[in-house]
Amino acid sequence: MKKIISYFILPVLAVFVVSCHDIEVPITTQMTPDVYPQNDAQYAQTAGAVYSVFRGDYAHAYFWMSTLSTDEGILPARGGNWYDNQGYMKIHYHNWDKDHGWTNSLWYTTEKTIGVTNQAYYILNNVMPEGANKKTTLAELRMMRAISFFTMMDYFGNVPLDTLYGDFEPKTNTPRAEVFKYIESEVKKAINNLSEETGAKTYGRPTKWTAYSLLAKMYLNAEYYTGTARWNECIAACDAVINSGKFVIESRASYLKMFYPDNGPQMKEFIFAVPFDPSAVSYPGTNGMMYRARYDVPRSERAKFGLPFTPSAPMSTLPEFYALFNDLGDVRNGQWLTGLQFMDDGVTPVTVKTTKKGYDQFYTGADGGDSYTYQVNLTPDIIYRQNPELFDCGNDEIAWNMGYRNIKFYPDKTSTSRNQNNDVPYLRYSDVILMKAEAILRGGTATGGQTALSLVNMIRANRSTSEVWTSVTLEDLYKERSREFVYEGWHRNDMIRFGKFEGKWGFKTNSETYRRILPIPTDAMKLNPKLVQNPGYN
Amino acid sequence: MKKKWLTGHPYGDGLKKIMRIMRLTILLLFGCMLTVSANSYAQKTKLDINLTNTSIRDLFGFIEENSEFVFLYRNEDFNLTKKVAVNLKDATINQILDEVLKGENVSYNVYERQIVIQKAENSMVSQQKKEISGTVKDNSGAPIPGATVLIKGTSTGTITDMDGKFKFSVPGDSKILVISFVGMKTQEIALTGQAQINVVMEEETVGIEEVVAVGYGRSSRKNLSSAVTSVKSDDLNRGAISDVGQLLQGKVPGLNISSSGDPTRKATIIMRGASTLNSSQSPFYVIDGIPGADISLVAPDDIVSVDVLKDAAATSIYGNRAANGVIMITTRKGNKDKEQVAYNGYVGFENVSNQLDMMDAAQLRAFMTKNNMSFSPEDDQGGNTNWQKVIQRDVALSTSHNLSYSGGSKNSNYIASVTYIDKQGVLLSSNQNRIVARLAVEQMAFNDKVKFGINITNSNTKDTKVPQRNSALLQAAKYLPVTNSKKEDGTYFENFNHSGYFNPLAIIEQADDDSKINNLLGNFTTEVKLPFGLTYNLNVAYQRNSSLNGVYYNSYYAKNYNSAQFYNNPEPPSTHSIINFGSNGLANRSTYQSTNVIFENYLTWNKEIGKNSINAVVGYSWQDNTLGDGFMASNTNFPVDDVSYNNLALGNYSTISGYKVDFGDLNAYQRTRLISDFARLNYNYDSKYLLQASIRRDGSSVFGENKKWGYFPSIGAAWRIDKESFMQSQSIFSDLKLRASYGVTGNSSGFDAYTAQFIMGGLGTFYYNGQQMAAFGPNKAANQDLEWEKTSTQNLGLDFTVLNGKLSGYIEVYNKKTNGMIYSYAVNPVLVPAGSITANGGEMSNKGIEVSLNTTPVSTKDFTWTSNVNLAHNKNVIEKLTNSLFLGGDSVRITQPDGGGQTGSTLQILKEGKPIGQFFTLEYAGKNAEGVSQYVAKDGSLTTNPGIGTDYHYLGSPQPKLLLGWTNDFKYKNWDLNIFIRGVFGNKIFNATRADLFRPSTAHSSNILVDAGNESPTDLNVYKYSSRFIEDGSYIRLDNATLGYNFKNLGSYVKTLRIYSSVNNLFVITKYSGIDPEVEQGGIAPGVDSNNFYPKTRTVLFGVKATF
Repeated sequence: MKKIISYFILPVLAVFVVSCHDIEVPITTQMTPDVYPQNDAQYAQTAGAVYSVFRGDYAHAYFWMSTLSTDEGILPARGGNWYDNQGYMKIHYHNWDKDHGWTNSLWYTTEKTIGVTNQAYYILNNVMPEGANKKTTLAELRMMRAISFFTMMDYFGNVPLDTLYGDFEPKTNTPRAEVFKYIESEVKKAINNLSEETGAKTYGRPTKWTAYSLLAKMYLNAEYYTGTARWNECIAACDAVINSGKFVIESRASYLKMFYPDNGPQMKEFIFAVPFDPSAVSYPGTNGMMYRARYDVPRSERAKFGLPFTPSAPMSTLPEFYALFNDLGDVRNGQWLTGLQFMDDGVTPVTVKTTKKGYDQFYTGADGGDSYTYQVNLTPDIIYRQNPELFDCGNDEIAWNMGYRNIKFYPDKTSTSRNQNNDVPYLRYSDVILMKAEAILRGGTATGGQTALSLVNMIRANRSTSEVWTSVTLEDLYKERSREFVYEGWHRNDMIRFGKFEGKWGFKTNSETYRRILPIPTDAMKLNPKLVQNPGYN
Repeated sequence: MKKKWLTGHPYGDGLKKIMRIMRLTILLLFGCMLTVSANSYAQKTKLDINLTNTSIRDLFGFIEENSEFVFLYRNEDFNLTKKVAVNLKDATINQILDEVLKGENVSYNVYERQIVIQKAENSMVSQQKKEISGTVKDNSGAPIPGATVLIKGTSTGTITDMDGKFKFSVPGDSKILVISFVGMKTQEIALTGQAQINVVMEEETVGIEEVVAVGYGRSSRKNLSSAVTSVKSDDLNRGAISDVGQLLQGKVPGLNISSSGDPTRKATIIMRGASTLNSSQSPFYVIDGIPGADISLVAPDDIVSVDVLKDAAATSIYGNRAANGVIMITTRKGNKDKEQVAYNGYVGFENVSNQLDMMDAAQLRAFMTKNNMSFSPEDDQGGNTNWQKVIQRDVALSTSHNLSYSGGSKNSNYIASVTYIDKQGVLLSSNQNRIVARLAVEQMAFNDKVKFGINITNSNTKDTKVPQRNSALLQAAKYLPVTNSKKEDGTYFENFNHSGYFNPLAIIEQADDDSKINNLLGNFTTEVKLPFGLTYNLNVAYQRNSSLNGVYYNSYYAKNYNSAQFYNNPEPPSTHSIINFGSNGLANRSTYQSTNVIFENYLTWNKEIGKNSINAVVGYSWQDNTLGDGFMASNTNFPVDDVSYNNLALGNYSTISGYKVDFGDLNAYQRTRLISDFARLNYNYDSKYLLQASIRRDGSSVFGENKKWGYFPSIGAAWRIDKESFMQSQSIFSDLKLRASYGVTGNSSGFDAYTAQFIMGGLGTFYYNGQQMAAFGPNKAANQDLEWEKTSTQNLGLDFTVLNGKLSGYIEVYNKKTNGMIYSYAVNPVLVPAGSITANGGEMSNKGIEVSLNTTPVSTKDFTWTSNVNLAHNKNVIEKLTNSLFLGGDSVRITQPDGGGQTGSTLQILKEGKPIGQFFTLEYAGKNAEGVSQYVAKDGSLTTNPGIGTDYHYLGSPQPKLLLGWTNDFKYKNWDLNIFIRGVFGNKIFNATRADLFRPSTAHSSNILVDAGNESPTDLNVYKYSSRFIEDGSYIRLDNATLGYNFKNLGSYVKTLRIYSSVNNLFVITKYSGIDPEVEQGGIAPGVDSNNFYPKTRTVLFGVKATF
């Protein structure tokens, strides 16, 4: 027996005595909740994720859905280029469906922004010491979440109200009117803790004035969203901003500069803007950049604008929209590229050397391969020369010069890539002025001695050298808004409110009213089976 | 093989007798155990004996216990119970025996440690004798030292000397001589009076006494109850191959191996279908017992055998990492009886075997004229450039040299080898250069009870890669042939008016992309022989892999390509993204180190009780892995390009607006720990009924708090039918074995080490008070419930040998199922902002059948033909892709090649009930009356304007239905010829490359395929990713033909010499229209040809193998 112990048991024991069963490894190279966030700078960085993700699709999916669904812009295919499986065509024709890529992106990124905000709110609410900083930081997050829910309500109507991180229970859609109520209460909860300060310190984050401006926007559209008009509350919210004295309408000399690459906290009209920067790092999985010049500047004008890249230039406006720019004294005309193109000296023509067939792919002469040089001439109309069904203008110089181009967010020659430094305003002071004017026109009570006409003329005086208006109708106001806010993301909202969204422009004839709200994307319904599809899209 | 009998025999004399006879038989069969230096042990060993009144039998027992001597005798030959008294000090065995056996009518012979005692009248002493002599050689003509030569039926004999020669006296009436040597067929030679006998030994047929590595030990193949396929070094693929995966291609049924022509890339290996969707699909490698060793450490010439463990009964002893199968590689060891110096070398010449059939200048011009199109004047330089040729070498040269010397003494053996491989790729600048040095020493100690081993291998590789390889390949295909590669002034031609259009020669020549990889493996082993048949093993291994990478894009890139939107062109299913090349040169350097420390010890117990044979293993394994310990940095704005990436400090990024230094992956560093307790029991009764069971308890640090440990059991049984008495009367089967097994294996790799934990990472930047500030927060969804992914395999196998060994083979049927499949499941981003969570959810199944047949149709003295065919069929199905918490898994559309105007189009789908790689895309339905391509809409109608996703259909699978490997060996005298044919059948390939080069409408700015010549430029649908570009991927390839000649009688300095010539990829028979039907078969997007092709090549190689 002794032998058995010494010969057998001992070695078996030896195997296990030298064994260890500690399976944990320490984490030494990552930030765990034990070490982060712990101080004010880290709290700011935790909240920063919300601004980083908010920027994600703002100049992308959000821009396409707000702009290309209206008469502001069109992005046709040219020889199959930019056809992209009808991605842009469906927005123009108002025949998007629940599998439409950009609709899906808009839903996804906005929902993600809400999720990131809920998460940051949860972390900071737990770790931040009580005090003013905590109140302001959390109020800012609450406001950002309200803005995201506003986008969801505006574009998708009936959306689920997921407001608490850690609650993984899928939720069904909440009716639009209730979402409206929720946003309103959230903004009001946040408003007293938001900063009143403007300028670099709060730039890019929501202030008390952002909150009032958003309320104004909600009340202006309240009749459409909820069936109940709230003109006077809109006026009151506008007055809160106007009376703060923090904002000034930019002059004729500075209107266009407001959108230049070097814009920023010094812009006196910006109430809340989304800061873009080529050196910024995007939130993982989002675009986070803005490159308007890539879409709008003709390839032939790369040198003129000193671009570090060759733009692609598929996007242009429609002639019926450009017709609104009929006031020769209006500085806002300067945001368009039209007709014959010259270099900055205004004399040297912008030319392109090609062949006769390269200029016109339908040229049938035997000398089609001969060299041909011409001065670039942007033409107003978009014409399907190649294949109407495929939204195609052809793939030659004629086609690429179709359509007037908007360069409001002026090309950035200082960037080393196509990413531009131009910040994009979300809410501007001129919007507040025109909202108040519209609310009065629609039946609200004028306040502070301001009338609809005086308010509109406040804007016009800083935009045009032409005579001031002597009267203003809702139609006039619509046109003025169109000129003032083109490519800033509000035209769709305006067209719906003015009942123009079902109109005809470009090639679009669809007048289905259910298209005022977008379908719930298929992918979203897969992730949340409790979602119910919006009317008309089943 | 040496069995030690204990004293105090517990069994009766009858049993003992059987045992003695068995031992005698064993001696005769395995005379190979006798060594050259016969009787050296007997001469050296001195014993002290002081015994009184002891029986001869007990005396023998005493000697056996106190030495390594073993006695062999027949009970009836003499009186074992006779009492003797011995008192000797420092006596040799001869002195003892002379004294003890005094007066007995017996004689004895001492063969090293074996002592044979026989009746005196049978012994040679009393016979009339005659002298015979001879030599024993192997079939290559090399002498065999240490072969046993015996008179049949007796123990009279000798052992060959160093030169294979023997000489001894035989009794006059001796009739038959038996010559045996391990690994060789035992031969009998009739003695007909000849004095000189020359014997050529032949290698033993594989599969009879074959020993295979099974994990924590070795086992005889005939006693296996699990599915293990072994490939001997001679049967591995030949050619200029430095990668172990390619060596095995087509050799093992059930291994689906795909390789590209790129020398810097490893082949992809999938065993019995992918068992998981996560990135870890490749089998687990064990090199000389070291789990998880890097295969780049192995020089092909150092391999002795590769054992592929396929079913769970075989693999589950490596439970935690064995879900994808285990490949065990055994490398050469020194042989104490065979001191030798060996040299293997070859030189190979490689060229491109096929290229895309793009239009040449004349064809494209004709197309343009026909369709009323024209080139831009800048492009049309009147040239006729074959751009694919421009970026290729005419001939790529490969050389390999392997030099080794090995040997040993009685108590030690060693081998040292050094291998140098230099392999050019066929694309300009592509090259791999590798040096592997290896030293393995084994030393016996403590009276041969303890064996120490040290094995050190270092592999140093330098990869020179093609910068932006996939882009260069795509550009070479689409660049217009009418353009010359360089302008008259010697500068590159470029035309940035066409978007995404770059000179492929400039792409390659104006950048560097190199990697230096060093792999060090040190392994220390100790084996202690304990009493009672116990053996204790301790292995400690340390592996370090360090890489130093450098990439430089010179100022040409920055100046030209930044402005023209240079997209990378990644492998599917990744999507492309734009790249910025900084300003005045962009350098990127990184160095990372990975280390594994492995500690394993285990105890083995071998016991035979009558017909019962038991082998039990119990052990413990501890492993600590560190991955990605290092850093990356980049810089731009260099004063000169000449320094390339070699001096980051020369750059000055701070003056470049918006430039961001690339510090690499935030999650590069990962540390994991694996701990296991394991036990295995092998039991067989009479070598007839075999049973194996194992259990392993595995822990991994990567899982959630209470989910770290998992149990992985297995059980296997086999029945050697041929051993049954009722089989003894038949002569059809000489071997017949039925096997069945079931087991569970696990996977804990293929995802981030800290997935189960709450980690904060970078979430972009945001504006904060005048500057961009970094945002941090949870960048991944922590999953504290993450647990083991488990794969269970049922396996049924039948091994057989018929026709007297002329035909042998096996059939395997298996059913492999993965549960709790770990995958990054899509989740609702509003609930989990990361948008995805690594979790257990899905299920995957693979069912299949494998057949392997070996035949020797012809076997004559001069000519032998052996043939091996292996066939495998596997059916892969994703059974489930969701779990109740994460509903978003099913129906994930993947693989977006992003051809122009096709953003959002996808080729494949991950879907329940479908295989991995299921094609899901547009269904082409010919052209409508206007000549526009149309497609089948969701409702079955035809449309020219289909919706992505909505109008998609299931259109075939990239998974092959049948894999074939067919080897033929012909030997004629000194010549041998090996022909290896490989085939893949029943799979589909999505030829996205073809779709992207099928654009007649842009033929003026981007070349098109010849067979797009009849398409109309007005049909803008023509290139849409659709079933039109899904092709049959079946092929048969003559993979290798090797002709060799073995020189004989080379004199005393050169022992063996072989020269050979080998041709790889002689031809391919396929209907596939792309460059080569062998496209990537691994990952979640197999079977997609999407601009990621590296040209397939044909190699001609001349080699020499010699031993001295």
